[in-house]
Amino acid sequence: MFLAWNEILKNKLRFTLIIGVLMLVAYLVFFLSGLANGLASLNREAVDKWDADAIVLTEESDQSLVQSSFAVDTADSIDADETAVLGQLNAIAQTGDQKANVSIFGIDSDEFIMPEVTEGTAFTGGNEVIAGDSLKDDGFGLGDVLSLSSTEEKLEIVGFTDEARFNAAPVLYTDLETFQRVKFSEEATRDNSQISGIVVRSADVSSITDEEELAAIETETFIESLPGYTEQSLTLNFMIYFLFVISSVIVAIFLYVLTVQKISMFGVMKAQGIPSSYLARSVIAQTAILAAIGVAVGLGLTLLTGAFLPSAVPISFDIPTMLIYGVVLMVVAILGAVFSVLTIVKIDPLKAIGG
Amino acid sequence: MAVLEMKQVEKSFGTGHKKVDALKETNFHAEQGELIAVIGPSGSGKSTFLTIAGGLLSPTTGEVLINNANISTLNEKQLSRIRLKEIGFILQASNLVPFLTVEKQLKLLDKVKKDNMNKEQLEQLYKDLGIGDLRGKYPSDLSGGERQRVAIAKALYSNPSIILADEPTASLDSDRAYEVMELLKEETKSKKTTTIVVTHDIRLVDYCDKVYKMVDGVLELQ
Repeated sequence: MFLAWNEILKNKLRFTLIIGVLMLVAYLVFFLSGLANGLASLNREAVDKWDADAIVLTEESDQSLVQSSFAVDTADSIDADETAVLGQLNAIAQTGDQKANVSIFGIDSDEFIMPEVTEGTAFTGGNEVIAGDSLKDDGFGLGDVLSLSSTEEKLEIVGFTDEARFNAAPVLYTDLETFQRVKFSEEATRDNSQISGIVVRSADVSSITDEEELAAIETETFIESLPGYTEQSLTLNFMIYFLFVISSVIVAIFLYVLTVQKISMFGVMKAQGIPSSYLARSVIAQTAILAAIGVAVGLGLTLLTGAFLPSAVPISFDIPTMLIYGVVLMVVAILGAVFSVLTIVKIDPLKAIGG
Repeated sequence: MAVLEMKQVEKSFGTGHKKVDALKETNFHAEQGELIAVIGPSGSGKSTFLTIAGGLLSPTTGEVLINNANISTLNEKQLSRIRLKEIGFILQASNLVPFLTVEKQLKLLDKVKKDNMNKEQLEQLYKDLGIGDLRGKYPSDLSGGERQRVAIAKALYSNPSIILADEPTASLDSDRAYEVMELLKEETKSKKTTTIVVTHDIRLVDYCDKVYKMVDGVLELQ
């Protein structure tokens, strides 16, 4: 630590440059992780809010909520602690001048997926909806009447709830009857109501249903099979992992060049009897200092940038994940220093004094 | 009592017809408080002698004893500890760490070894060597003579029993060279260390108690 810190103090410019590079890598890692997290919640927010263990869909829907459809009384055959019926429909909602992709959820207001209203009131009568509050950013407000792309029915926004996006579209929560009318128009009879799935809380997912046409899918699997979700998160995560490798290589190269420049100095120190282990620890400590400063500044810059980004950028910071990534960055930087440590161990003190 | 002793030490490099005898059979001993010069032209084997004496190189045959302990059979880690504890090196190219101030050059030794000079002794050392005003400076801010004096301070700071100096005056003009030799002599006498100076500069022999001459790997007392 003594050698490491004094060297940094003496050669401020040199080490500031290294810190700068580490900072940029950290910045990119944190920014991508924020983006990955933001894009993921764009898709899964509403599902996460259910806090459910599984969802029951038809076998032939291939884990897609949109493709699944069965009668509401099927819910009676489900064996679970708690169930909630769910009808789902994608639509374009528009007022006179605003237009948005929405996902309509038909639910039973007595069951657990009923959202908490953060503004306005819950739906009570027909054709009333609670909307995801991201719609507010698109210019929608309480009392707006929405016409839909697929039907003549009109829906009125009576309340808002937070964290309500499904597959990148804001959710409109409404009752099952309204959902039936919107999806199947007037002809649908009430006792033959069709729903898309049943959301389930149960410790044992495999025993939820024994009907052949139905399949219980664990929540995480369900999310991963949302269109585009896995591809998106894999791409971003792959970039992050690649950045870990890059930062390790960058640190390895920088430190190696610095170490090679100091070979004769290390040789003299070894001739004087200063143990290799002390010199090695010093290089490791130096790397840790540089990486810690770089990561901390990178983290600060990322959070600062995040505060100034327009809301259209789907970025959201998950601090625990970022802290883990920060630690990983420090660890890979130190791995990069191992190369220099090996060089130091191999230095022959005899050469240093021209023997 | 002999601080440093060499018994029938030989060192050769290479094998077969490429074999070079850098040091032929050498017997040598140095007592406490002695200042010894080893002179000879370059390539005569003085450096080999110095590196064997300093535990940086193992002899091909023979024994090297420091304070009656045989160091010829030790491994690199053990040798490193002996060098740290018993030997102070003053090297031709000044052996200072470029990014440490004079004060911290010495402090570095505290990080790896106990029983270095205490505060009073250190102040006296600064005074003796006339480098008290330089303690906050970096090696790049010092003149050649100043750097050499700091190197001497560094060698003495760890209270070694042997000081090995390799051409300590090489980069200095005559006046500075004499000054450095005068200092080495004083410190050797007052601290009761053993100092061996390897040099090709015969002007320095006047300061020494014993002078050895090295010619083609053979060491002879003058």
